[in-house]
Amino acid sequence: MSRQANCGHTSAVFSLVVKFPGCYQDALAPPAFFRSLGLPNLAALEPVSFIMSNSSNMNALSADEMERFQKLSNDFEPEAPGLLVSAKQSSQSIAMEYANADPTFATKTNALAITHPMTRVMKRDGNCGWRAMAFGYFETLFSFRDLLRVEQERIRIKSLNYTLDQVGYPEHLYEMFTDATDEVFAQISTAIQNSDPDESFLVNAFNDEYNSNSIVMHFRLLTGAWMKLNRAQYEPFLEPIPLDQYCATEIDTVRSEIDQVGLQALTDGVISNAGFGVEVLYLDRSRGDAVTPHQFTQNCPSDATIRLLYRPGHYDIIYRAEQTVNVAPVVNFQYAMTSDYVSWDQGALSFDANPHLMAIPNLMADPAFAMGGAPMSPVSSVSPSPASPYRLSPTQEMYPSPMQSNAIIPSIPVSSPTPSLPSAAPPPMTSLPSRSNDGPQIRLNPLVMRPSLNHLPVTAPFKNSPYNQAHFRNQDFEPIHWAPNESRK
Amino acid sequence: MDYTMEDTQNSAPESLETTKLSGAGQRNETQSVTKRLQAELMQLMMSPSPGISAFPNADGNLLAWTATITGPTETPYEGLTLKLTFDFPNNYPYSPPTVLFKTPIYHPNVDFSGRICLDILKDKWSAVYNVQTVLVSLQSLLGEPNNASPLNAQAAELWDSDQAEFKKHVLSRHRDLDDEE
Repeated sequence: MSRQANCGHTSAVFSLVVKFPGCYQDALAPPAFFRSLGLPNLAALEPVSFIMSNSSNMNALSADEMERFQKLSNDFEPEAPGLLVSAKQSSQSIAMEYANADPTFATKTNALAITHPMTRVMKRDGNCGWRAMAFGYFETLFSFRDLLRVEQERIRIKSLNYTLDQVGYPEHLYEMFTDATDEVFAQISTAIQNSDPDESFLVNAFNDEYNSNSIVMHFRLLTGAWMKLNRAQYEPFLEPIPLDQYCATEIDTVRSEIDQVGLQALTDGVISNAGFGVEVLYLDRSRGDAVTPHQFTQNCPSDATIRLLYRPGHYDIIYRAEQTVNVAPVVNFQYAMTSDYVSWDQGALSFDANPHLMAIPNLMADPAFAMGGAPMSPVSSVSPSPASPYRLSPTQEMYPSPMQSNAIIPSIPVSSPTPSLPSAAPPPMTSLPSRSNDGPQIRLNPLVMRPSLNHLPVTAPFKNSPYNQAHFRNQDFEPIHWAPNESRK
Repeated sequence: MDYTMEDTQNSAPESLETTKLSGAGQRNETQSVTKRLQAELMQLMMSPSPGISAFPNADGNLLAWTATITGPTETPYEGLTLKLTFDFPNNYPYSPPTVLFKTPIYHPNVDFSGRICLDILKDKWSAVYNVQTVLVSLQSLLGEPNNASPLNAQAAELWDSDQAEFKKHVLSRHRDLDDEE
């Protein structure tokens, strides 16, 4: 019952905000006000909704009232609830928050919950972006479970101390921050040695407020030092604020939120040299059905990218869905099955490209063929149906399987093939697919699956093929063994 | 027999109690604050800045300091000695110290109870600021008040309109404090 009332309350506040989208940039709407918007703690919203309901027509307020409201919201500091860094949780919670909000938010957060199913909520204490980046950095480092890499990073970060010296921070002042970071590296190494199953030790370390602030401060100082040593890179984005003033009032402080320039500098100066990517997903009311991604690094390696979700005034960590490792090569094998097929590059092939030969899958894995020299590449005329490469039932008739007709002795046991056997008739036939009721089955040469081996020589396209008759004259030839009825892996 | 043990228990019950009660994190934190303040004190003694000094109070509490600033030359405060107190929070340096003028002072950015309006002691505080930088900033604030946001509006007005009158107010309000105060 009360839950219901709360929901209505929340949505009322949101719809009011939505009516004044310009407020984000409006001097009359101080950040503290917006910082409170996403708070589940509705008690904290009380003064805000009071202001809003009284000022639904903002223009009608007198200057005095404006000033009073300004002061009220300036002084308004919501008691940020929750942990500094939460445990991983489902992104559905974000979608729930916006369920009754603007449809754009609802659509985007619902889509987000599918593409990025997990999130980690950061406390809204003015350090969320900084803390999210620092945590993301250590979490990514830990994910490799590589002691050597941890040690390399520890040394790299320690070596950045010279930048702090260069811009004039005294060591006796920054020592406590670097010590805190060093301690985290040590904890990561210990956790790897102990085979800790998860990063909960890291979450604990980041929830010890004093320790956590020390690490954040270290990252802030490194960022400020980097900016001061690479002025030309950032000055144009700060104008008219002088860079030193920007660093003093936005970067080196203890609770000013990170902004775009700061995030870029943090990425450039501290994070990217670890080989990690940084991507921020912007959740706003812009057009589209999905959050807007922005990469802060040139590359965002799939296993080493820190992803943040940005909502006005707040950053959280977000985790992409695990990429299912799709071993199937991205090649459309079907085009090879057309029988009215002419050679795609007459000059390059010395053999007669008859349609039967075209049925050999290995060929198609070669990008050199797919890209072709001929502008009228047959690829374009092929139906782009993404059928499984393993099962090509529609092409049953196109697959004459000449070997099949010759397979007089299909029951030869292949358990012990002796390659040294001088026999002129090794049992290659058994490696061929038998025509079963549901169509032919093609077992791909494992070499096809390896992208690095895509480059078959054009002049000898059958080199690695079981159909290559030359194999039979090779003393060391060993056919691929495959039992057609064996279940696939 | 074991007099040492008995001695400890009799003489310092509070310290034992606090050690028992405080968690590991708390103790770590206190250690860090103490270490930081000791480093600052060392720095102040090794390379003192002209016209400023600071030292922890005699009671052994490192979280409370007394400091002095000598009024800079060519300002209305020239030759005056001004006393201040520093109170450091438990999470120092992630929160600024509370700094108050103990010596009565007439200044646009200081009110009559000695409270100071200076951004670096509030939202622009940085954890690399310290006793020394605060004192140096206050010293320059004496010669360059921020009249845009005064705590003492009359002083701000007078500073802009009549420097001589301003100096009279400064001198009449000033009173040297005894050492015990």
